[in-house]
Amino acid sequence: MDQKIDADRRIDPFVMSVLKSRFEAIVREMSLVVQRASRSAVIKNARDFSCAILTYDHKLVTVEDALPIHVMSMDMATRPVTELFDDIEQGDIFVNSCPFTGGTHHADLIMMMPVYVEAEPLFWVVALSHHADTGAPVPSTYLPFAKTMFEEGMHFPCVRIAQDYTEKKDILRIGSMRNRVPELWLGDVRAQIGACRTGERRIMDLCSRHGKDTVKGFLLDWFDYGERRAKQAIAKLPAGTYSYETRHDPVPGVADEGVPVRVKITVDPDEGKIIVDVRDNIDNVPGGVNLSANTCTGSCRIGMFNNLDEDVPHNEGAKSRIEVVMRKGSAIGDPQYPVGTSVATTNVNDRLMIAGNCVFSEMGAPFGQAESAGHLPAGVGVISGRDPFKNGKAYVNQIFVGYGGGGARHGYDGWLTYCGPANAGLIQLDSVEVDESMYPIIIESRGVKPESQGYGEFEGAPAMQGVFYPLDHDMTIVYAADGTEFAPRGVLGGGDGGPSTAEKITGEGDVLTLPAFAEEVIENGARIAFAAAAGGGYGDPLARDPERVAVTVERNWLSPDAARKVYRVVVTQGDDGAWRVDQAETTRLRG
Amino acid sequence: MGYQVCIDIGGTFTDCLTADGSGDVRIFKSPTTPGEFEKGFIDVLHVAAEGYGLESSDFLGQVDLIVHGSTVSTNALVERKTAKVGLILTEGHADILVLREGPRKGAFQWKLDYPDPYVPRRLTRTVGGRIDARGREIAPLSEADVREAARAFGKQGVAVVAVGLLWSVVNPDHELQVRRILAEEMPGTPVTLSHEINPMPREYKRIIAAAIDASISPIVRNYIGKLRAALDAENYTGDLLLANCVGGMMPLPEMLRKPIYSVMSGPTLAPMAAMVLSDEPDIIVGDMGGTTFDVSALRDHQLIVTPDSMIHDDSLGIPKVDVRSVGAGGGSIASVDAGGLLKVGPESAGARPGPACYDTGGAEPTVTDANVVLGMVDPEFFLGGKLQLRRDLAEQAIAPIAERLGSSIEQAAWGIYTTSNHNMVGAIEEITVREGINPRDSLFVCGGGATAIHIAEMADILGLKRYMIPRYMAGLSAFGGLISDIRREDSRVFLTSDTAFDAEGASAALADLRQKGQAFLDGAGVATEDQRFECAFMGRYEYQSFEIEVPFDCGSGRLTEDDLPGLVEAFHAMHERIYSIRTDDDVVEFTAWKMRAIGKRHGQDLWREMRIGPDKGAQPKSARKVWVPDEGAARGVPVWDMASFGEGSRVEGPCLIEAETFTAWLKAGHKGVVDRHGNLNVSIE
Repeated sequence: MDQKIDADRRIDPFVMSVLKSRFEAIVREMSLVVQRASRSAVIKNARDFSCAILTYDHKLVTVEDALPIHVMSMDMATRPVTELFDDIEQGDIFVNSCPFTGGTHHADLIMMMPVYVEAEPLFWVVALSHHADTGAPVPSTYLPFAKTMFEEGMHFPCVRIAQDYTEKKDILRIGSMRNRVPELWLGDVRAQIGACRTGERRIMDLCSRHGKDTVKGFLLDWFDYGERRAKQAIAKLPAGTYSYETRHDPVPGVADEGVPVRVKITVDPDEGKIIVDVRDNIDNVPGGVNLSANTCTGSCRIGMFNNLDEDVPHNEGAKSRIEVVMRKGSAIGDPQYPVGTSVATTNVNDRLMIAGNCVFSEMGAPFGQAESAGHLPAGVGVISGRDPFKNGKAYVNQIFVGYGGGGARHGYDGWLTYCGPANAGLIQLDSVEVDESMYPIIIESRGVKPESQGYGEFEGAPAMQGVFYPLDHDMTIVYAADGTEFAPRGVLGGGDGGPSTAEKITGEGDVLTLPAFAEEVIENGARIAFAAAAGGGYGDPLARDPERVAVTVERNWLSPDAARKVYRVVVTQGDDGAWRVDQAETTRLRG
Repeated sequence: MGYQVCIDIGGTFTDCLTADGSGDVRIFKSPTTPGEFEKGFIDVLHVAAEGYGLESSDFLGQVDLIVHGSTVSTNALVERKTAKVGLILTEGHADILVLREGPRKGAFQWKLDYPDPYVPRRLTRTVGGRIDARGREIAPLSEADVREAARAFGKQGVAVVAVGLLWSVVNPDHELQVRRILAEEMPGTPVTLSHEINPMPREYKRIIAAAIDASISPIVRNYIGKLRAALDAENYTGDLLLANCVGGMMPLPEMLRKPIYSVMSGPTLAPMAAMVLSDEPDIIVGDMGGTTFDVSALRDHQLIVTPDSMIHDDSLGIPKVDVRSVGAGGGSIASVDAGGLLKVGPESAGARPGPACYDTGGAEPTVTDANVVLGMVDPEFFLGGKLQLRRDLAEQAIAPIAERLGSSIEQAAWGIYTTSNHNMVGAIEEITVREGINPRDSLFVCGGGATAIHIAEMADILGLKRYMIPRYMAGLSAFGGLISDIRREDSRVFLTSDTAFDAEGASAALADLRQKGQAFLDGAGVATEDQRFECAFMGRYEYQSFEIEVPFDCGSGRLTEDDLPGLVEAFHAMHERIYSIRTDDDVVEFTAWKMRAIGKRHGQDLWREMRIGPDKGAQPKSARKVWVPDEGAARGVPVWDMASFGEGSRVEGPCLIEAETFTAWLKAGHKGVVDRHGNLNVSIE
């Protein structure tokens, strides 16, 4: 193998690590420009943006620090531009936010700029931001009940917004007119422009420093390297075809039975290739939860990469080892124009990543992982109202008080602060004091929900739960809690995670169960109690290492009684309060 | 005027810098003695005495002041050898240290278990009672809960207690009550209250600081006791000050009150040194040692303070001088991964077993080995010839890398050198890009033993125009200690905004801070005319979740409505500086007020008196072959002796410069001139 590496090399070996780190640094700097210059909270605080560099022929170079769902199929958003335009020039900037021309969903504005080196187009620098508003009929960018794109906000189906480094004011006027917060929108667009310009400048510098030919040689070596690493990782998997099905909760009037999500993969370890087939899925549904071709492809790849070594580089070479096959007109596939896709980056899409994570468990241990919680429980709802401490000034924002847990995998328990597979544990959890100083609310409690986790040889992460209420006013909360009806399932004998729940506790103390998809007013004096969904377990609980059981008891996530019942492990508490395994009793119980 | 001494304990060496009455500074080193750091401390004083040709007792009798940066608390945290803490939290919020603010992880990083909380749940108790954001009591404190917690802690053998209740920063009443009750139930047990140790309106950061502070307080107390005893045994009667992590010194009693301020204090002295070595507004400081590369910076000639420093899986909580560390040092190990990619670090051979060329049992190829192979480091003149290096062992260690890469040993060594440079550049950009500092307009100050070999290439990658190789580069942190102020910072939460600015409330907070700061400086023996106070506020736009620190001139110490436009403009300007945008029509919120009390120390400016002699026509002492990547061959370059330089001496790259404690490499086009203090200032054409 070593001989082959040498023979195929185009540049000095050490130059590869150098240029790799330089390209990563450029993407990091682009991301910082977006984060700094943007104004809306969803970009600045929730980091709902990503930057990437692709070659001019749409091969993914690097994606440092990005949200995986934004970038694993970025080529699908850039390619249509080269097909639709035959007059691309240096200094042009294009945007694409239309799922029917390769976009993710209409609120993700994907901006791209070609990078020319000595008059030759070599790269695309890309900056994607999730905008706070798109001018949809209701003030949200997620519209589960919008049947077609005509009920959504603005779509930009590959539109040139700058030429010769000059903004096209007419086009930007269209965008800002069709927007509830035009200054915010324009500010966020300009942040993206700034990021693209920064990326362009840095790549030009890089090419003049190292020489165009060296950089071209690097790209080929770099993709070869990614391909080699992915092949090596896939070679460790057992050959075969594997299927998995999970199901998104019912969406009233859109998918009353829920949305089944099926994934079939064929693994060829000799070739080092995986084919992901999602053609066997239902047709488009009359609502916003259909996927776009872009998110469908990206999510299929993410599920695969979640099961390969984490240090396999996420570049074109590695991507090329995963082929995605989908069907036109399927809810989990390429949507039929003009069906609704506004929720294409979360809910059903989260389920697709979950299915991809889990399908590997069909290979048996140690492969795959259990189902994790999906997205948008009440703990991450959008709250709004009039602030009594600011003379009734209106407020509206998404909070991140508590979210769902990750599924278990072989060797590791699920990740507690997970927040759905699209967020992958990258989202920051709100500080109680920061929220209470910003909004007129009290977060009475917030913490881990013990014994909500799916049990198993490896445990899912427990859910977070909490109670909060408005101070001296009525507060509205909007959420879409997948995992209320179909809670995350365990695999290979592991138990299911607990479901997502929401209740209203009235001023009189009555407890009302709230629906999974809701827009609810919490009156002054009432409180909302929520629990997110918990991760599923992996493997037989009786195979769990008793020491791990003791740690879970120690964390207060499991009672000694449940340890005995579920795991047949006996733990005793010492004078110092520490829980230790009673080896003799445990051996006796486990037999 | 006697000697002033700074002792900085590093991972490998304990550095000692001394200044005599004329301002002449000398540097001494002795091995660090883990487990009994006070021994290395006394050892290096003996080395210094010997250096001056004095008996230890004579030398110590002439020392007026010892300033000291210790690593004892940092080590205790890194090695998780801390005291047993009982933690008291607000009912309903037992999981604050479990949840943190969502621990950081990589997007595709799944092979990991969720980290345990800093204080185990069995030692965490909640108590009834609640204050809201405006300081109003929603529910009274449950005394019974506190007493029950105390009794449980007693049984569990808790040594110290930390208390973190929600909104204690705006109304400390409940936390104070808890301390009173604990004093009755567990008399003599030290108690840390979150609002006193880290008054920040962000519960995880405030409370983790309280827990960490409590957990190291017995260790710091014990160490200070041993240090005092060791100095007493040497009949030392001068003063002793300790470095803190906000860029200054503290008297012992103050450090004993807030031991968390001793954590990671050593590296914060490097930017302090840079502050006096140059008047440039923006300065980057890089310190490359055996295992890590530490970067810090000055923006507008001020220290950058961050609340985001990490220890293992937890935030340190308190704002401290921003020093970022990456695993890129002389001992960092090179390897080639399964796909054929060269990687350097973060694994390190450290001081033991050390780089292969040390011949102390290390066999892995390290950055130092690469530097020897490239000819950058003279095996015969390492640490002034005190340690003989073996080039053959360095080559032997690098050979497998060369084989995997299909290159010559020299090419592989160059690959290791340049890869480690890029790793360090990544760390530098991490701080400069984030903090709004343009490397192209900044001065880079080198610190630590190894930086000067690497700075030339890093300068080219970063586009730097100027860098400085200080005369005491290898002991830059210790030098920082020698010249630093007595300093403390404190803050008070007081929420107000520009739409309803409460000047009275803000003034009261500032007055309180000023009074405390003054008491601190008075206690440290700083004369009134040597006292200085710097003010800042923490501000944000409405609905932003992160604050930025904005310095302002506090003049009279009182704020009026007239000061508001100035404060708001200062906020917009700083926001634009850091985030490249300003939103003039947005509401500006003030969340906390900060005061730095700074006291000039007697003799801290003495070093400025020292002047090296004029240039006496210095000539290279020898020539050595250094491998040049572009030519694929080694080529002879002149080697200069730093000690032969005088004021105004000039050198031009390519060349090597050797001093007793470091080697510097200047590339072609890099021109150096020596200043009156003996520092080499390099500019790039």
